[in-house]
Amino acid sequence: MILVIQLKNIYYSYECGVLALKDVSVQIKPGESVAFIGPNGSGKSTLMKLINGLVNQSSGSYDFEGQKITPKQLQNDIFSKSFHKKIGFIFQNSEVQLFCSNVYDEVAFGIRQMGMSEDEVRIRVYDILRLLKVEHLKDRQPYHLSGGEKRKIAIASVLVMNPEVLVFDEPMNGLDPESKRFLKKLMIELNEAGKTILCSTHDFEYVEDVFKRVVVFSKDHAIIRDGDYKGIMDDKKFLFDNNII
Amino acid sequence: MPEWLLKKDDYAAKEEKNRFINKSILSILRMLSKFQYGSKHESNRFKINAITKIVTAILLVILVSLSRSFGFLLIIDVYLLLIISILKSEEINHIIRMAGIVSIFTLIVLLPSIFMGNANNSILIVIKTLTTITIVNITSSISQWNETTKTLKLFFIPDIFILVLDITIKYIIIFGEFSLNMLYALKLRSVGKNKNKSTSVSGIIGTMFIKSKEMAEDMYGAMECRGFTGEYKLHGKLSFRLNDMVCIIIDIGFIASYFYFVRV
Repeated sequence: MILVIQLKNIYYSYECGVLALKDVSVQIKPGESVAFIGPNGSGKSTLMKLINGLVNQSSGSYDFEGQKITPKQLQNDIFSKSFHKKIGFIFQNSEVQLFCSNVYDEVAFGIRQMGMSEDEVRIRVYDILRLLKVEHLKDRQPYHLSGGEKRKIAIASVLVMNPEVLVFDEPMNGLDPESKRFLKKLMIELNEAGKTILCSTHDFEYVEDVFKRVVVFSKDHAIIRDGDYKGIMDDKKFLFDNNII
Repeated sequence: MPEWLLKKDDYAAKEEKNRFINKSILSILRMLSKFQYGSKHESNRFKINAITKIVTAILLVILVSLSRSFGFLLIIDVYLLLIISILKSEEINHIIRMAGIVSIFTLIVLLPSIFMGNANNSILIVIKTLTTITIVNITSSISQWNETTKTLKLFFIPDIFILVLDITIKYIIIFGEFSLNMLYALKLRSVGKNKNKSTSVSGIIGTMFIKSKEMAEDMYGAMECRGFTGEYKLHGKLSFRLNDMVCIIIDIGFIASYFYFVRV
């Protein structure tokens, strides 16, 4: 089976020299649901960006569906677009993902570029808005929505492009309990539908049952454990010692 | 769950010549890294007061621009080389690159003058430019933004102006990071041909305006809650240590050597 994501000995340092990822090696199979947990500043968000090709590793290798992801490859316009079509990223701050004048255009933005007819675009947009229960917001300005609504529109705008891998960066941040429950249910449904789900999170209460595997980062930006979600989450001493609970 | 979401799309991306988004991302990254470059160093490096550093820099720039003596410029350059030699390699790279680019540009501008027989004066100007740029870059390398703005108080700049300047620098970084993330989001969803790039960019600019208005209102609210009434007093501790005294003595030496070379 071809791995969706294969990271080998990844190191990443910011331009100012600060190390953000240290010797990170992870393999993700298609259809897996993996949570990345660790204390603040441990490198989870940086890894999410790296997986999406927004930053490039200082050393090590990153393969996506068997193809090397390098700065040179990402400069290739066709490769870069195909890659971004296959992997969707929901940012920690949903506001940065919303730049169109209304919700309908926001959701339609990606698929309109894929050469779909306006009828197909309409079908997909309404399907997604219904799935996320935000059809009534279609004419609203994205920026003036509530935090939970913004998050749902950001997810809709990514999901409408039907990516094979969905990457969530702290998806539960700033959401009320009802929105968190909704998002948890959605992630489970998407995973059952065959999507690979990767997620960096702190909110363990609301992500239980979503993930089968967990990767734990230490404050030193390295992976200290990778295994069964339940087994690791039950090891309270380990989680406490590493500033996770 | 819609049926199309359960199966893979058969989609082949098409090439687009326009690299507008990538170029914008790169230019914002460059701008942000410049600010990070200035803020990453530990405060009070070399244990020299920010005021001493700024005053020394201004004094040297004035002396260099007034001097017509190669000997004096040579002394200053040797001093600057000594300082550069104890900086970090990335700082040395930055300083040499900046000084080199500006000096070469000045040299090119002055080439006609050199060919017309005015070589001495032209070379003097190039050396002065090189020295001045090096002084400014060394000062910015070893000083932090917040330290530098505080020294403006010395020049009778009102405290409220310094506060506004500090906040401006802070918000350039915050909005730079925000706009960078918006461009990242635009890039990730630009998976085909987009004929209306300008509309997306105007959307980003519009969002930035709303965001800046909201953040400005929030910050003013937070300041009011902490008792801000429009008056702002900047408090800074001025501690002169041995290194400051050494620096001042060197400055006095430069002033003396300037007058010595004028007389010669």
